[in-house]
Amino acid sequence: MRAELFIAWRQLWHRKLLNGIAVLGVTLGVLTLIAITGIMRGFQTKFLDTVLQISPHVVMFDTSLGQPAPVVDQLLGGDRRATRIVRQTSTDRQRRIARPGETVAAIRALPGVIAAAPLVVGSAVASAGSKTLPVELRGIDPAVQDAVTPLRRFVVAGGFAELGGAVDGAMIGYQLAAQLGVGVGDSLGCVAGQGERFNLRVVALFDTGVAGLDKGRVYVPTRLAQTILGRPDVIDRIELRLVDPDRAPGTSAQLEALFGYDAESWQETNASMLGVFDQQNLITGLIIGAVLVVGGFGILSIQIMIVLEKRRDIALLKSVGYSSRSVLAVFLLEGGVVAVVGAAIGAGLGHLVLTAMRSLESASGMGYSKPSTFAIYERPSVYLMAFGFAVGVGLLASLIPAWRASRVEPVDVLRGAS
Amino acid sequence: MTAAIVPALEARGLVRDLGEEVKTRILHGIDLAIAPGEFVSVTGASGSGKSTLLYLLGALDRPTEGEVLIEGQPTAALDDRARGALRAERLGFVFQFHFLLPEFTSVENVAIPMLRRKDIAPAEAQRRAVAALTSLGIGELADRRPTQLSGGQQQRVSIARAIAHQPRILLADEPTGNLDTTSGAAVLDIFERLARDGMTIAMVTHEPSYAARAQREVRLRDGRIVDVIARAGAAAVVPAG
Repeated sequence: MRAELFIAWRQLWHRKLLNGIAVLGVTLGVLTLIAITGIMRGFQTKFLDTVLQISPHVVMFDTSLGQPAPVVDQLLGGDRRATRIVRQTSTDRQRRIARPGETVAAIRALPGVIAAAPLVVGSAVASAGSKTLPVELRGIDPAVQDAVTPLRRFVVAGGFAELGGAVDGAMIGYQLAAQLGVGVGDSLGCVAGQGERFNLRVVALFDTGVAGLDKGRVYVPTRLAQTILGRPDVIDRIELRLVDPDRAPGTSAQLEALFGYDAESWQETNASMLGVFDQQNLITGLIIGAVLVVGGFGILSIQIMIVLEKRRDIALLKSVGYSSRSVLAVFLLEGGVVAVVGAAIGAGLGHLVLTAMRSLESASGMGYSKPSTFAIYERPSVYLMAFGFAVGVGLLASLIPAWRASRVEPVDVLRGAS
Repeated sequence: MTAAIVPALEARGLVRDLGEEVKTRILHGIDLAIAPGEFVSVTGASGSGKSTLLYLLGALDRPTEGEVLIEGQPTAALDDRARGALRAERLGFVFQFHFLLPEFTSVENVAIPMLRRKDIAPAEAQRRAVAALTSLGIGELADRRPTQLSGGQQQRVSIARAIAHQPRILLADEPTGNLDTTSGAAVLDIFERLARDGMTIAMVTHEPSYAARAQREVRLRDGRIVDVIARAGAAAVVPAG
């Protein structure tokens, strides 16, 4: 193989411009693959990481499954059965999880469950001065909830621990605080429906990086939330954190079977976004594939040209003893070297692009205390995949010209030459 | 009783047709034996089949009918790889055009046929290449590329490439066809010296004065041997088989 490698390398070097163009094609393909994968998957990974941190892996709601709602029984009575329920309102549903303490304890005992936290959630209006904004009010046991959704790490002002100690304490998103013009230690009015107005004291601000939460969520102790929402002693959902988030759908189904309440995994909650990611990945894959195939065609066309040009040299090599397989190897090696060099340069440039992107500020704006930057996905596996794909395309593209070269009959060329 | 000499090259009833749909018979049953160490020239008009005969003798082409034996070894059953190995080890080729690879220096061009052989180390191939160039008086051109050489020098390099691996048989197809008279005569001087050293040479030429310098001249016409002229020093050959 040393002779074939020697010949291949020297022929490549002799046609630096042509082979440089082929190398450029592969470089662009690999650069595109690494850069687009790094940016797209970086965004997706950041999104999923955030979702998996600030959202529970599974939520069990207060909606009962498998039996008619009590209001239907009351309306129909006797032996009649409802085949279709039209316009069932929220007040028609069961509005609580029965025996929440025992249920939470039972859920915690399930395999694969790290923590389970009971909550009550409702809509409310927050006001400060002349400003009034709709919010989602969440009543939590801070210590227990922190084990399910680690809120503590998102606190950017005040203290998370004070939420548990204060009867009227509230933790709100930093964007909500900015819109209301309040800070830690300030008072906040809160009212749900036609209920009584309660004064809350802001004890902490959080910044999750998810605008919807930072603009519209208020955490208060469970008892306070139940009072504001007018639902004393009601727990309407239980949130879970799992050892393996990927097993959330199975655990969700298990909860429904065991407790008879509707449960939802984080995958179901974010199904539309995950679907978008799938579409993105498909389109990205097609674009990258097309760019690499174009790079492959570059190698193919240049190699075909070289083979046509070098028929005499091929004839000479075969006449002095080089076999068809040796000639095949020479041209496959040339394609392989072009692909490897192109892939190496593309990988290096891809790394530089990703490094530069990592330091750029994201268009999604600023966080509470620091600018938001692009999330970049950069793993050795991506480089290996790019390398493998490029070399595969390079070898495949040089297969046809190499095969044609190996089929050159020296005597045909010698007759033509003479 | 005299022991039969095994010919270095032997053609038995060689027929060669060319063309896909319309076949043209180029050679009509050639029988020829060339003894070891013999210098034979093959002459004839254009289209007489002399180059075709040379390619068949060098196992570069396969006959339509008949058989070629190289040092007594039949070649018909050999596959592409085996024929390549046989050419690499036992034969040297010189063509009308030098066919030097433009990417390589003279010494690299000469060494290339040896590089694929496992029994010759790269350093040894280099040494033999330099020795071959030196023996032909062009040792100082070892590092030049083909484009930096004259026509005569290019042909000398191609002869060096043909003999560096020390084959016993040299096949030359119009080796002087592209050279001026002085360079052509110099090539013939080299061939004569190689023949004196024991190399078997079969040379196709259309130049009568060069053909006359061989020990035997085989004349072809329309694919048939029409005359064989033995000159001084021609060896007696008894076809094998």
